[in-house]
Amino acid sequence: MASGLNGTNFASLFTSKDTLCQTSISDRDELIQKMLEVLALNHGIGNVEHAFQQVIEREEKISTVIAPGIAVPHARLDAIDGIVVGVATSRAGIKFNGDANSKAHLVIMILAPKDQPGVYLQALSSFAKILNETGVAKRIAEMDNAEDVWRFFDRGGLVLPDYVCAGDIMTRDIAVVLENDTLEHAIDMLVDQHDIDVPVVDKAGVLVGVVTAYELLKVCLPDYILWMDDLSPIINFEPFAQVLRNEGKAWLTEIMATDYAAVQVDAPAIQVAKEITKRGSRQVYVLDDEKLVGEIRLQDFIDKVLRQ
Amino acid sequence: MVKKSKDGSLGMLVRGVCLLVLTGLVAVSARSAQFEDQQVLSLSIFVMIILATLFFWKFRLAIAFIGIAMLLGFKALTLQSFVESSELDIILFLVGMMVTVGVLKELGLFTWIIQMVLGMEHMTGQIFVTIIVFLSALMACAVDEVTSIVFVGALIFQVCDTLKLKPVPFLMIAVMATNIGSSGTMLGNPVGILIGHKAGFGFEDFVVWAFPVMLISLVICLLILLVWYKKEIALLTEKLNERRAERLGLGPLVRVPYKRGLFILVAMLTLIASHRRLENLLGVEDNTVLIVAPLLIAGILMIWRHERARHYIETEVEWWTLLFFMMLFVVAGTLEHTGVTDRVASDFTAFFGTNPVVLTPVVIFVSALGSAFVDNVVFVAAFIPVVRELNSNPLWWALLLGACFGGNITMIGSTANIVALGMLEKKYRTSIKFGEWLKLGAVIGLITCLVAWGALFILSPYMPERAAMSVQAEILEEALH
Repeated sequence: MASGLNGTNFASLFTSKDTLCQTSISDRDELIQKMLEVLALNHGIGNVEHAFQQVIEREEKISTVIAPGIAVPHARLDAIDGIVVGVATSRAGIKFNGDANSKAHLVIMILAPKDQPGVYLQALSSFAKILNETGVAKRIAEMDNAEDVWRFFDRGGLVLPDYVCAGDIMTRDIAVVLENDTLEHAIDMLVDQHDIDVPVVDKAGVLVGVVTAYELLKVCLPDYILWMDDLSPIINFEPFAQVLRNEGKAWLTEIMATDYAAVQVDAPAIQVAKEITKRGSRQVYVLDDEKLVGEIRLQDFIDKVLRQ
Repeated sequence: MVKKSKDGSLGMLVRGVCLLVLTGLVAVSARSAQFEDQQVLSLSIFVMIILATLFFWKFRLAIAFIGIAMLLGFKALTLQSFVESSELDIILFLVGMMVTVGVLKELGLFTWIIQMVLGMEHMTGQIFVTIIVFLSALMACAVDEVTSIVFVGALIFQVCDTLKLKPVPFLMIAVMATNIGSSGTMLGNPVGILIGHKAGFGFEDFVVWAFPVMLISLVICLLILLVWYKKEIALLTEKLNERRAERLGLGPLVRVPYKRGLFILVAMLTLIASHRRLENLLGVEDNTVLIVAPLLIAGILMIWRHERARHYIETEVEWWTLLFFMMLFVVAGTLEHTGVTDRVASDFTAFFGTNPVVLTPVVIFVSALGSAFVDNVVFVAAFIPVVRELNSNPLWWALLLGACFGGNITMIGSTANIVALGMLEKKYRTSIKFGEWLKLGAVIGLITCLVAWGALFILSPYMPERAAMSVQAEILEEALH
């Protein structure tokens, strides 16, 4: 997933001319249109109307507000052969999709070539460290001129990483169960989460296994029952009765699988694809050493790598 | 990944070179021992197939095909002798058994047996081990060793998964019992039907001469295993008590309509057990009913469950294994046709003499050691012509017991061992170390072979003489005509 931009300073991807400082525009679509016109003028991005549709289409699908006050609208275009970045700041803030109460004060638009799937994620990864700073968007929005805004990014030393890693595309907030939880709790979790897999961690957050709906079914219908071709003698889910009777007393470890797909947080994203493909898994757990730090679902992976 | 692949290729290359060098050495040795050209060729190809089972387990059938092609190409084998030596009757017997077992599985017979064990009250570690020892052995006697280990293995995994115990000790216990049990009847092991067919033994002969020896060996094996795995068995008892205190079972239990399956099994065993009487009544060749019984039952079952018939033939029959057996029988037949086995038999008797009292332990221990490292069917197929030349009843039983008991010595000693290891690897991604197996396997193998030797020493005076058996058969044949 290397793009040839490895080690590039993020600030070198745009100039003060590509920056709309303290814009008075308050409408999202109007701002995006304006930013695209500026970029078209400075870099040539092909048909502005087409680019606008691409960016808006992505905005409609999923919010690009990636941190409080920061939105990163983006698109992949046929007409460009290198990454193009534009920045806008607003004191009053612009309403993007997502949290109704929050407004974006810093808007970073990233346009990437159609055939370079990792570039947007690399760019996003490069300024990931400023995302966690409290109030950074408002602070940048207070800057009076475009030069200062550009200088902020330049001084920050934000560099595009060599490759997109698992940590860049993972979901951090995931539901877990503790290894000493009961089977009852695990089943509740499977039902509540509308999910078929829930990771199991110990007190230190170390991933010790996965509770899966499949394993739960296998406990109720073990191999020796499945050997029978005709299960019609079982008419009332009798095999589930014992599990239901004992779910409050049995430990979830009874249905915990210890065979799951996992990668280290700094592993190249392609390793995620390999794990998913090799194991036929629908998600990969992301570990920092042995500690569970996130999860990458197959659907998210496809979306982030092939569409974003 | 690339490194691993390179290591794998290098390993393959080394094993390939070893196979060719060893085969070449055998050819040179045979030539210097003044074997004829065709004898050298058939012996070399037989050794090549044996080595292939050791070095290239996955390619053994491909190598056997190539070996057959070479024998045909170099005129050591003709198409006619190929058909005659392939023991199609034994292959069809095994096909019939596999189809029947597939139907019994779907009818819930094995589910019912497993549930009976899971639902037992007052279960302890010792009782569980005793049950799996006898269940493995008797199931091997009634169906076959592979079916037995697959079903008893599933029972062990269910209990161990529920109690969070390591399944390895209990799986090894089941495998040891399965291998011993497989000698009890001619259904237990392809070796049994092969020896029975070649020696002219019937089901009743096995019940009289092999089953009691198997039973004594099994009880002694059980006592050794109870001591060997004392700690693991105590832990199992403890976990069972804990679970019982919580009023938790060992797995879900459902109502199984087992009677149809049980009826079919009993009917098939009855038909097979009475095959000699039926053959006499019908005036057909010895073992005709024996071979036909599983085919007849399978045919009826396939008409009854006609919508699943194709599934039974395509999925339940182990065509890979059966084709390998066929090729193996042909190569072993070629050894016989080209006179290699006559030569080996005469060398064998020249060295050990012709006294069965001396030869019996020799055959037991040679076949046990041979079967420990080579598939026991391979070894027995090669050794049968030698035993036939010696023409002594106890030696056939010595070959059977040695080959079955020797399968316990190493982890590659029998098909049951390999199937059990495969199950373990698939479910738990773990395996048993060669040395770990060998420690227990060597003890069980040695002691059961000594038991077999002692039993055959006591029983041999009561066994009918081979010559007398032939005369009886001739008289019977004349009477029928």
